[in-house]
Amino acid sequence: MDEKIAPHLEELTRALGDLEKTGIRAEFEKLIAFRVPPDVAKESILRKYGGKRKVLKVKDLSANLKNFELTGRILDIGEKSIRPQAGAQEKPSRLYTGVLADETGAVLFSSWRKLPGSIGDVINIKNAYTRIWQNRIRLSIGEQSPVSKISDSSLPSLSELSASQKKKLIDIGAVDFSVDTVACVLQLSYREILVKGRQSRVISGVLADETGRLPFTAWIELPGIDIGNIILIEGAQVRMFRGVPSVNILSSTKVSSIGLDEAEKLAFTFESAAKDPTPIKIQEINSRYSMFDVCIAGNLVSVRPGSGIISRCPECSRVIQKGNCRVHGKVEGIWDMRIKAILDDGTGSVLVMFPRELAEIIYGKTLEEAEQLMFSDVSKDAVYEDLRRFLTGRYLAVRGNSSKNEFGVSFVAENAWVPEDDLAVRVVELLRRLGPDEEEGQEKNSQVSRGGIELA
Amino acid sequence: MLKREVAKRVFAREFEACRELEKSERADSEAADSKTPNLLISPMGLILNRVFVVGVITELDNIGTQSEMWKARIVDPTGAFTAYAGQYQPEASIFFSTVQVPAFIALTGKARTYEPEPGSVFVSIRAEEVNVVDEEIRNRWVVDTAEQTVERLEAFSDALASGYRGEKLREYLLGKGISSEFTEGIMIALERGRSPDEFAKLLRSSIREGLKTLDLDSENSTDAKADQKEFVLELLKEMGGSKGVDYAAFMDAAASRGISEQVVEEVIRFLLAGGQCYEPKIGIIRLVG
Repeated sequence: MDEKIAPHLEELTRALGDLEKTGIRAEFEKLIAFRVPPDVAKESILRKYGGKRKVLKVKDLSANLKNFELTGRILDIGEKSIRPQAGAQEKPSRLYTGVLADETGAVLFSSWRKLPGSIGDVINIKNAYTRIWQNRIRLSIGEQSPVSKISDSSLPSLSELSASQKKKLIDIGAVDFSVDTVACVLQLSYREILVKGRQSRVISGVLADETGRLPFTAWIELPGIDIGNIILIEGAQVRMFRGVPSVNILSSTKVSSIGLDEAEKLAFTFESAAKDPTPIKIQEINSRYSMFDVCIAGNLVSVRPGSGIISRCPECSRVIQKGNCRVHGKVEGIWDMRIKAILDDGTGSVLVMFPRELAEIIYGKTLEEAEQLMFSDVSKDAVYEDLRRFLTGRYLAVRGNSSKNEFGVSFVAENAWVPEDDLAVRVVELLRRLGPDEEEGQEKNSQVSRGGIELA
Repeated sequence: MLKREVAKRVFAREFEACRELEKSERADSEAADSKTPNLLISPMGLILNRVFVVGVITELDNIGTQSEMWKARIVDPTGAFTAYAGQYQPEASIFFSTVQVPAFIALTGKARTYEPEPGSVFVSIRAEEVNVVDEEIRNRWVVDTAEQTVERLEAFSDALASGYRGEKLREYLLGKGISSEFTEGIMIALERGRSPDEFAKLLRSSIREGLKTLDLDSENSTDAKADQKEFVLELLKEMGGSKGVDYAAFMDAAASRGISEQVVEEVIRFLLAGGQCYEPKIGIIRLVG
C-alpha cells in the first residue's frame, strides 16, 4: 500500500510543501482510509490546496479568495477564547485576531493557531484565504496555512505602517484603517440617535475632492464647519457600510479648516466638487472595490430573473418565497417592484438594482399597473416578461453607488434617465479623428458599391 | 466570483475578420482553465467573446431540420452579422419566431467560428438576448461603436508606428494607459501579421462612410441632398408598398421625374447603409418599416 501512495505523496510534497506540518498528509491518509483510490485522493487534495499559488499584496485582496500567499507586518494582535457550542465535544479554542499591513494597506486577520510573531514582526502566510466579516474583508489563517516569521524584510517600519496615510477620497477603501485627507463638505446634516441607551447627536454628510465623493460621519461636534468648507481631516477611521467606505470622525481625529491661500493650491474648489458627476467608463467601476455617488451609462443588455413584482416580509423587508420568510416564517407579504439588469457600455458590465421608484419610472408602469398585469395573465412571470420586452437593449444613464461582493460588482441606482447628448456633435468629432478620405473619387466609390453588393 | 463577460461593441466589418484566439497565445494563467471562454481576436487586436450589436434584421430563416434553428442577418453601416438561435437559446428563438422582418433589433450573444475547410472561416453570433429597438438606439450604438473602434484604431496605429515589438511594445502601450487585455491583443495581432495596416485603412473608411449615412435629424436638414432623399423615399413608398420595387423600374421612374441616375444610386446606397431599406432579392429594393 505504502509503495502505491509514495509517489503520490512525493508529488504532493513537490506541489504543496511540507505535508507533515500542514496536516495535508493526515488528510490524504484519511481519504485513503475511506477507500478513496490514491490518485483520486491526490487529485482532490491538489484541487483543494493546489493550483498556481498567487502572491498578493493587501490592496489586491477581495472577498472569497483562496490559496494565496501574503507577507505583512503585524500591527496589532490579540487573542480571545471561543467557547464551544453547548453539546459540542471540542475543547475551548483560541482565536488570534489582529491587523496585518504591508505598504499597500492593512487588513484584519484571524488565526486559529498561535502565530510565530508579535506586534512589529513580519510574517509570511501561505495558503491563506479571505472571508467577509462585518462588512470588511478578513484574512483567514487556517489549520492548513503555513506561517513563517521573516527576520529581515523590506517592508516599512511599524511606526510608518501604523501612521495615518494621506489619501485622496477615491483611494480610500477597505484596506485603510486610519487616513488623512483634504476634502470639501458637500452635504451635512444632524441626526439624533441612541448609542448605548444615551441620546447623542451625530453629523453625517458627504465629502468631495477632485477624485470622487465619500460619505462621512462625525461622532463629535464640528464647530465652525459647514457645507462649502474645505477641511483637513487627520486620523479618521474608515468603516465599511454595504460595501462602501465611510470616513469616521472620532474624538481622536483632528479636523481643521484650510486657509484661503492653501485652498487655492488644491486641484478642486467647492464649485468643481459640487458638480453632478459625469458618466465614467464601467471598466473603472469594475476595477475598484467600491465607488460612491458615480454615474455610468450603457445599454441594458439583460434583465435578470427576480425582476418585477416581488413580495417582502412586513417585519424585515426580506424577499419572501410563496408567503414564507426565511426568518419570520409564514407572513402576509407586501408587494414591491424592483428591476435587476445588466448595464454594459462595451468596456465593462455591472448588475444595476433599481428600487421601486426608479423601476416605475424606467418601466413606465406603476406597481399597481404591474399588479394588474400579473393578475390578468396566466403566466406568473408576466411582469418579468413584459419588462424584458420593454427594457432589453435600451440605453440608460444611472447614478448611485457600486460595490463588489461575492456575486460580482453591483450598482444600486439612486437616479436613472435617458441621456440626451448630441450624437451629431460626436459624429463630427469622430469624422475629424478618422481623418480625411485618403482615396477620394474612384477608389471610394468602388469601396462603397462593394458594401452594396454585400448587402444583396 | 465569476466575472460577467463584457459585451464588446464591434462593427460587422471588423467582426467578420475575427479569428479564433488559441489558448496558448494567452499570457494569463487562467488560459489553461477549461472554464475560460473561446475567445476571438480581430486584426486590430480586439479580444472578444460576448458582443452587443444593434442593426436591421433583414433576413430570417428557420434552418433547423429536427428542431428549430433560426438564422438571422443583421445589418450595420459597415456590413452584416449572422446570428443563430436554436433550442438552447429558447428566449432568442421565441423572439425570432415572432419578429417582423425588417426591424431594428438589439442583440447580445457569443461569438462563434466555423471552419468547414482550411481557409474559409465563418464568424457568427449565438444569440442570447434579442429585442426590438428604435432608430435612436441604433444610431447611438453606431456612434458608441465608432468611438470605441476609433480609440482602438488610434492605439493600434500608434503601436504600429512605434516600431517596438515584444516586451518593449507591452511596456510602451501599458505606459500609454492601454488596458492589459488590449495590449495583449495588439501584440498577438501584430505577430499574426496579415498586413494589419491595410485592414486598419479599410476599417477607417468603412466607419467614415457608415457615420456619414447616419440620419440624425431628418426634420431639420434642409440641404438639397435631404430633399432628394425625401423625394426618392416618397417615390419608393409610392411604387413599392410592402413588396418592394424592381431597381431598374424604379430608376426609370425616377429619371422620368427629373432625378439623375447618379442621385438615385447615391440615395439608395445611403438608405441601404443606413438600414432604412434593403434588398430582399438582388435587384429588388424594399423599405424598412
